[in-house]
Amino acid sequence: MAAMSLSKALPRPRYSGEDEELPTHTQSRGSRVVGAEGLDDSQIVLKRSGPPPYGNRSGWRPRSAEDFGDGGAFPEVPVAQYPLDMGRKTTSSSNALAVQVDAEGKVKYDAIARRGHSDKRIIHSEFKDLIPLRQRADAGDISLEKPSEEEIEATRQRTQNALSTLIGGALAAQKPKNIKGTSRPAPTYVSYTPDDQMGEKSGGKTRIIKIVERQQDPMEPPKHKHKKIPRGPPSPPPPVMHSPPRKLTAEDQEMWKIPAAISNWKNAKGFTIPLDKRMASDGRGLQDVSINDKFAQFSEALMSADRHAREEVKQRALMQQKLAEKEKEQKEEHLRMLAQKAREDRSMAAGGRRMSSRSSRSRSSGRSRSRSVESYDSRRSDDSEQAAVRDRARMRKERREEHERELRQSRMGTERRLQQMAREQNRDISEKVALGVAKPTQSAESMYDSRLFNQTSGFDTGFNEDQAYDKPLFAAQDAINSIYRPSMNQDDDGEGADETMDKIQGSKRFDILGKADRGFKGADTAEARDGPVQFEKDRDDPFGIDQMISDVKTGGKRYGMVESETRGSKRARVDDDEA
Amino acid sequence: MDQNPDSLKEGRQWWWYSSRLETGGNGMFSRKGGLNLRFEEEGCCFLVGISLFQTSSTRIDRNRNIFSRTSATLERIPSKSPRPVFHPPWKIDRVISGHLGWVTSIAFDPSNAWFCTGSADRTIKIWDAGSGRQKLTLTGHLEQILGLAVSAKHTNMFSAGDDKQVKCWDLEQNKVIRSYHGHLSGVYCLSLHPTIDILMTGGRDSVCRVWDIRSRAQIFALSGHGNTVCSVFARAMDPQVVTGSHDSTIKLWDLRMGKTMSTLTHHKKSVRAMAVHPREQCFASASADNIKKFGLPKGEFCHNMLFQHRTIINSMAVNEEGVLAAGGDNGSLWFWDWKSGRSFQQAQTIVQPGSLDSEAGIYALFYDQSGSRLITCEADKTIKMWKQDENATPETHPLH
Repeated sequence: MAAMSLSKALPRPRYSGEDEELPTHTQSRGSRVVGAEGLDDSQIVLKRSGPPPYGNRSGWRPRSAEDFGDGGAFPEVPVAQYPLDMGRKTTSSSNALAVQVDAEGKVKYDAIARRGHSDKRIIHSEFKDLIPLRQRADAGDISLEKPSEEEIEATRQRTQNALSTLIGGALAAQKPKNIKGTSRPAPTYVSYTPDDQMGEKSGGKTRIIKIVERQQDPMEPPKHKHKKIPRGPPSPPPPVMHSPPRKLTAEDQEMWKIPAAISNWKNAKGFTIPLDKRMASDGRGLQDVSINDKFAQFSEALMSADRHAREEVKQRALMQQKLAEKEKEQKEEHLRMLAQKAREDRSMAAGGRRMSSRSSRSRSSGRSRSRSVESYDSRRSDDSEQAAVRDRARMRKERREEHERELRQSRMGTERRLQQMAREQNRDISEKVALGVAKPTQSAESMYDSRLFNQTSGFDTGFNEDQAYDKPLFAAQDAINSIYRPSMNQDDDGEGADETMDKIQGSKRFDILGKADRGFKGADTAEARDGPVQFEKDRDDPFGIDQMISDVKTGGKRYGMVESETRGSKRARVDDDEA
Repeated sequence: MDQNPDSLKEGRQWWWYSSRLETGGNGMFSRKGGLNLRFEEEGCCFLVGISLFQTSSTRIDRNRNIFSRTSATLERIPSKSPRPVFHPPWKIDRVISGHLGWVTSIAFDPSNAWFCTGSADRTIKIWDAGSGRQKLTLTGHLEQILGLAVSAKHTNMFSAGDDKQVKCWDLEQNKVIRSYHGHLSGVYCLSLHPTIDILMTGGRDSVCRVWDIRSRAQIFALSGHGNTVCSVFARAMDPQVVTGSHDSTIKLWDLRMGKTMSTLTHHKKSVRAMAVHPREQCFASASADNIKKFGLPKGEFCHNMLFQHRTIINSMAVNEEGVLAAGGDNGSLWFWDWKSGRSFQQAQTIVQPGSLDSEAGIYALFYDQSGSRLITCEADKTIKMWKQDENATPETHPLH
């Protein structure tokens, strides 16, 4: 009723929507088909961009970008407007940032670093953040003073409050109160009077229904599975405020080259490792052996001391020799003096006696002196002659003795001569034996290296660490067992024990070599003989040679291999052997 | 090169400069204002651009208008390096030998009476700080102990080891009273929050876990690092947790949300040690390439330490006087002036008799509560105490 009255009160709507014709300026601006007669009155074409002037805007709606004409939205037109496409929800998913400027109109280049972070976040992104603070002109007075107690207390209070809620939540989560299945509400009772249903009469009986909550297993694992929510896109990393790392030079690389460890015990992959690498790996070459300088000094000092001592000893020996010589000389001198003195004394004494006959004496002495000089000369010649004579005599004697010996030897027997020769070569020990000095070696065995005898088990068989024993310990056991025990296949003949025993006893296993109780096969048919083997003259032709010759002579031709008899005989022989 | 930097926008300009930096070397280009900018490669690892201005200040003033408008990023104060402060050199005072393995971690009692060390022999030993005598040996871990901390508020000690276990010891009963279960691999570092009863542990599962001490509940798993978290410290103010990792980044964490506040990517090698200054709001982080200082609420880069330690730095500590000690894997112990970043002493530990020379290595170091004694835990199974030389004066040990 009220709505009806309202619609009556209001004027008719200007645009009903159905039969509305769009204004000309909002109609499509495509090419218009104009008739030939219409050309005249529409020659002037006004190309217009931008909004229509005021007054002509009734029903005009700005749609495209040029409708705005570099301007903003029209607040009098009540439609959603997007001048310069601002605010339009685009479907394109470009994550390019819009350029932002600060209060002074400078572009904020750190917008990309701030994206996704809160405004409170401190991001050092400018070059001035690299400059030390005390060199920065715009830093002003830098106050690094400690905050006051009140500020600290306020901060503490705020933080404590914030944390206490967190702690409370964490603690509450630690001890869950509502474990399912523990609380069971009391059953509810409902009185129920069923209606008549489908023509069926219930009779109006009232029933009381007890409603109990279904019991739940408190230990039942949750039916859902906790799933990790994938992480959102990370916030942009902080700007890097240091220079890039230095390029690694070849020298640095060389410095960091660490040779692979090579074990002397393990080589699982079985690489062939050069010997120099193996040597390098044990680090032996890394430390250079430096011998203390004092070793050299010490040996030098030793050598010089030795030389010095030798020199001294030599000097002393020389001195002693000289002294001894001197002493000897002195002694000789002394002796000579004594002799002189004695001679003089004697001569003095003789002079006293021969004072009377001095003249004769002097004569005789003169003569004797002359003769003594003479005799001295002759004596020298005599001496050489006598020595020669002696030599000759000696040689003669030696030769004679030699002859005698040869004569004796020639008369000696061979044994004696050998003995003699042995004695000459110092090989005769008969005297030593007689004296009991030479004894024969007590045991003959100890003379020999036992390893030389049994060479198959000696050193030359090869030393094998895997097998310390060259033959099994119970190698003989098998043989022993098989010797003294009846074997299985002998048993299963079904013979009696006695028979087996007889068989074992009867069978001779060990033949005496060369005296076989059984001869070769076929030989046992031969009769025993006494005396040498007697051959018989061959009468028939065992090999069929005559036959063959006669065949050849008669010229009977034979083709192929007719060897059935020989083959048969061969096979027979083989069978014979095997039997 | 022929482009005029004036015409470039600022942001694009740093791209341009940084691309120049990346191409490396010493690029030099001159502008028409007579200004020379030179990029130098400092040491072997970090590129720090140092602009050398012309000495004439008038010229700078003339250019300032253009310059500040276009490239304020490059405007720098020429050299405002603070003068180094004199610190007396440190000497070995005492060598304590008692552990049967590498001594890998240390923590000091808040009362400064004793300290505890954890070792690769799976024991924690408690030593008297004054006499250096052993007071106690605690066993319970199955692997080497890599993190230790003593609570200032309770009579608790916390230990973390390579056996994935984090334990809470009651020091009144000398027993394990809590165990924090959850790490998937070895735990490498441990830190206590100064004001709240929570515990931070970082491990080889590249996660820093935050535990409620009392209830043993894991509050957060601060994940985001790409490799082992090998250093962690906690602060009272935001960011309350800072972690360093083998992925060569440092992350500052918002403890309320359990989210990263910032990631510092200035290092090129793994950040194995960090030291937070007791008074200032900044910390130093050490990696094999450099020791860097960062300001704290925002993590802005303060400066590099001026020399290169040239070894893996396992541990760092700084005291109130501003002496930063960094212990290297080769047994070198360098002392730095915190403010200026100069190293004033480069010591080398001496291995105890019977050890190999290669067993010189410092795994952990710690100042006592007063900052007057430094204790190093070493690979030769000893604990060494270092003291300052009292007789040293700036005259006897001049700053070079």
